Amino acid sequence: MKKPRIDIAKSLLLLPSLLLVTVLLGLPLVVIFVASFQPNALFPADRVGLFNYGYLVGSQYYLGILVRTLRLAIVGALITVPLGYVTAMLLQRVSGRAANLAIMGLTFPILAGPLVVILGWMALLPNRGPIFGPLVDAGWIAPPDLLGTEVAVLASLVQFMLPFAILTLFTSLRQIPNDLYEASRNLGASALQKFLHITLPLSLPGVLSSTIIVFSLGASSYISPHYLGGAADQTLTTLIAQFVLVTYNSPMAAASAMLLIAIMVAVIFGVGTAFGRLIRP
Amino acid sequence: MREILAAGRWLYLIAIYAFVVGPMLFVCAASLNSAANFPANFDGITFKWYEAILKYPEFTRAAWVSALVALVSSIIAVAAAFLAGYGMFRSDRKESVVLSTVLASPILVPQIVLSLATLQFLALFGVSSGLAGLVAVHTVHSLPFALRLVLSGFSRYNFSLEEASANLGAGRLTTWWQVTMPLLKANLIAGFTFCFILSFVNLPISLFLTDARTATLPLVMFAHLEARIDPMLPAVASIIVIAAAVTTILLERYLRIRLVD
Repeated sequence: MKKPRIDIAKSLLLLPSLLLVTVLLGLPLVVIFVASFQPNALFPADRVGLFNYGYLVGSQYYLGILVRTLRLAIVGALITVPLGYVTAMLLQRVSGRAANLAIMGLTFPILAGPLVVILGWMALLPNRGPIFGPLVDAGWIAPPDLLGTEVAVLASLVQFMLPFAILTLFTSLRQIPNDLYEASRNLGASALQKFLHITLPLSLPGVLSSTIIVFSLGASSYISPHYLGGAADQTLTTLIAQFVLVTYNSPMAAASAMLLIAIMVAVIFGVGTAFGRLIRP
Repeated sequence: MREILAAGRWLYLIAIYAFVVGPMLFVCAASLNSAANFPANFDGITFKWYEAILKYPEFTRAAWVSALVALVSSIIAVAAAFLAGYGMFRSDRKESVVLSTVLASPILVPQIVLSLATLQFLALFGVSSGLAGLVAVHTVHSLPFALRLVLSGFSRYNFSLEEASANLGAGRLTTWWQVTMPLLKANLIAGFTFCFILSFVNLPISLFLTDARTATLPLVMFAHLEARIDPMLPAVASIIVIAAAVTTILLERYLRIRLVD
């Protein structure tokens, strides 16, 4: 008699959040999934089909956008995760007040958000700006013209993603029991041996989750490529915005969105499988 | 040799922090520059750009829209997360893993896709977004963050206290109000604050859902950026940076809560 009653209470408690996710996320995703097969101004057919996807992966131009999106996200992750790993390792040695400050110094950029990040790079990167201005004036370098290039996009992405990577890896590294290091010291292990046999293998789950987080942030970033990238250098996110705001083509926007989700799922799945082998050989 | 290594470590950390925080601090400094352009060479210290924001109705109105959307969506997200957290701790392990994955799923959907999906979903019913649509999309976006902070509160929560309270003759409501809420208060406040700020500064999830009347602050700021870069933007950005820093410090000091645990 008692069990069903408790289940009702539990269901009622879970109902609001599950409703929120199903109605406000699940159903809308189904809607754009269906919309991605619909005819549109580019394909005025009277049937549904895969033509929108065919168009996006078939032409050189759109394929270039797909490749650029992947390249930014992958290169961004390859720069961010190692930089973050070393930072998180060094932060393990900081203690007390300084450690608190160090963590807080990484939390507030996440809260301040990408708007401030973009403004910062817009001010710092111009040829006459505070970084390159003096160097150009002194004749040491040619004007680098970084604004509107993938380098500018990457710089801002790495800056924005680093706190996420460092905080994830910091937590993961801190969970490694200290006994292991003491035992290895007693057995006369060198610093390199400690790293290769304790730190690295035990932190792999953290490396995996930070890689996934950083890759997802990079692949789905809109502000960096839109405001710091070149007008011709679109990514899937800016393409979606163009289909909605400029050419008013909802089915193409939906197809680009599904394509973005598909390549993210594919890469995350691939990275997850590869790491799964490493973690549990 | 030792000293060189130690110095190298500090140099590395300083470089990383300079890279992460430096551009933001530069924006804050630039907001005090009296030059009429941004970016520009240093010309003199002034607070006139902060005054200018207050007299600029486009910014102030957008700030109110953002604050309202952030307020309502964060309250709904934290309330739903609180109930869900309560329900999850009555579930067995397998169930709660599935539940937390489902409820955290909004974080995996690119924000711009969330905006697009909401736009087309609403269009199906022939309604335009308005404030309600904005609140809806911001609530979904906030839910995973709220859930994360609420769950970290529940993980330290002792349910036998509720039984003790019931044994002492307290009703359900009294127990909730006098036992459950005070114990989880810190996490609920922290969850609300994080959700509020993340919603307030977010641009992509609102991108397709606003009109002239409901434009949020980030959208108005960036519309400005595309028209002309004026020094009011660093002033708005500095206010956001200061708010983020103050929040982080207050939460750490008084509630002992961080994003990492």
